Amino acid sequence: MESKGVSRRDFIKTVGITTALAATGTIPPVLYASERRLVTFPEKTELLLLTSSPPQLETPLKYFRELVTPNEALFVRWHLSNIPTSVDLDSWRLVIHGNVDKPISLSMDELKKFEKVGYTAVIQCAGNGRSFFEPPIFGGQWMNGAMGNVTWGGVRLKDLLKSAGIKSGSMEVAFKGLDKAALPTVPGFLKSLPLDKALEDDIIVAYEMNGSELPMLNGFPVRLVVPGWYATYWVKSLSDIEVTDKPSENFWMKTAYRIPDDPCGCVEPGGAPKKTVPINRMTTRSLLINPEDGSRLKSGQSIELMGVAFSGGYSIREVLVSIDGGMNWSPARLGKDLGRYSWIQWFYPWQPAKAGNYQVMVRATNSIGESQPLDGLWNPSGYLLNKIEKYNLIVA
Amino acid sequence: MKFIILLFISAALFFTSAALAGDQGFVKEGSKRSITLPAPNITLKEGPGRDVTSSYCRICHSLDYITTQQKFTKAKWMAVVTKMIKVYGAPISGENAKIIADYITTHYGIGG
Ligand code: HEC
Repeated sequence: MESKGVSRRDFIKTVGITTALAATGTIPPVLYASERRLVTFPEKTELLLLTSSPPQLETPLKYFRELVTPNEALFVRWHLSNIPTSVDLDSWRLVIHGNVDKPISLSMDELKKFEKVGYTAVIQCAGNGRSFFEPPIFGGQWMNGAMGNVTWGGVRLKDLLKSAGIKSGSMEVAFKGLDKAALPTVPGFLKSLPLDKALEDDIIVAYEMNGSELPMLNGFPVRLVVPGWYATYWVKSLSDIEVTDKPSENFWMKTAYRIPDDPCGCVEPGGAPKKTVPINRMTTRSLLINPEDGSRLKSGQSIELMGVAFSGGYSIREVLVSIDGGMNWSPARLGKDLGRYSWIQWFYPWQPAKAGNYQVMVRATNSIGESQPLDGLWNPSGYLLNKIEKYNLIVA
Repeated sequence: MKFIILLFISAALFFTSAALAGDQGFVKEGSKRSITLPAPNITLKEGPGRDVTSSYCRICHSLDYITTQQKFTKAKWMAVVTKMIKVYGAPISGENAKIIADYITTHYGIGG
């Protein structure tokens, strides 16, 4: 047994009890730090509770057996505690202003007059997997459930910006949502993209998730979708788009959500980077979803290992599987291809001949050769996690 | 006969409320959507400094921001409390900051 992988994963034990939410309408106290409870929030199925206000909820891995993640199972992550709990589309507007020829203010009906586009894309929190870093890092102690694969529908950001007319000398586009902090001293949440990035064809303002409107907790009525990039940019309940002629000075761009300015985005474990840049594209990852880590199997019985693989905007070229702790690797069969932003399912038939403990490892490579390191790379905020995961299957 | 009808009605009621449970806290009325969030209810462990910690550290977020962290040393917790004050403007005196860091380290951290 590989002790490190096991103990890190065991750190947070899922407590399989459903809360008495229906009866009391409150969230029961956490018993102690290493437990996770299942809770039910509005429009959501039972998710793992990280924090209740602002809500941060993680998706149990079993939902990733499906190619597309159901809306009610998608993770939830807000930063500021006054999240929008009520939106009236009659008065809601999306404004585009700043360094533009003609500021515009769009109702939902007006927004929907722009050409509709869509695709399936992985949404993943920058801190997904943070709880697996060593040494540990403050922040949301996500396991691997701060991600999902969703079919998004909406309009091109580019089309909206063009209709307002971008003035020359513009540098960035900044995005704000309806969420507000409890105290005015807390910096308002804002994300910005360099202008050339913001004008890419595939960046959309989405009003649909899997063909339905967005759940309130996932950003109703619209959110930005920046496929291939971490979800920190996918501003929820988007209401304000500003074209600017200088880089943003906002805390959430200038101080938070930054990675070491180094090809690996990493520093010595526990160290501090000399220079940082805003986090951007996702690293390549692959996970075993079924059977779950720690499962017991019967010797001689055939099963099919199944999981998902994705990268920051490039198709997955290959997924290799090892069932002997990394000594031998064989290619897995890849499932249906929903495009370069979607995850792809991988399948690997296996018939364990002998009883014993097997360590399963999975490694994906994308079309430009980006893959996964064997040992984790470390950075001070716990971002970019993509080490080769190790799973233990017990055959009896 | 009456008895049977009553049973039938209560069964129907039961199923209606079960159907609503999936949408619990969510209301869609014409152009309007609203949700009611479950109230946080976190009781920190008994001990000196608990009340100070509970009252200051829930101004901007729920107390599970503390209880769901991993085990950190006092120096690390002091740095977090300082960040809350310096970066987010938490209205906490230097004296209370020390009390809070002591309390959290004792009950949710490691070392003294
Ligand atoms: C003035 C508002 C405010 C107060 C008061 C406050 N915090 Fe925070 N805290 C924040 C914000 C904003 C965040 C970032 C939230 C996010 O990203 O989810 C945060 C995040 C955290 C985190 C996660 C790690 C991090 O750095 O993001 C911890 C732990 C934390 N707070 C602990 C505390 C403790 C302990 C106290 C009491 C001393 C406290 N907070 C009081 C605003 C506050």
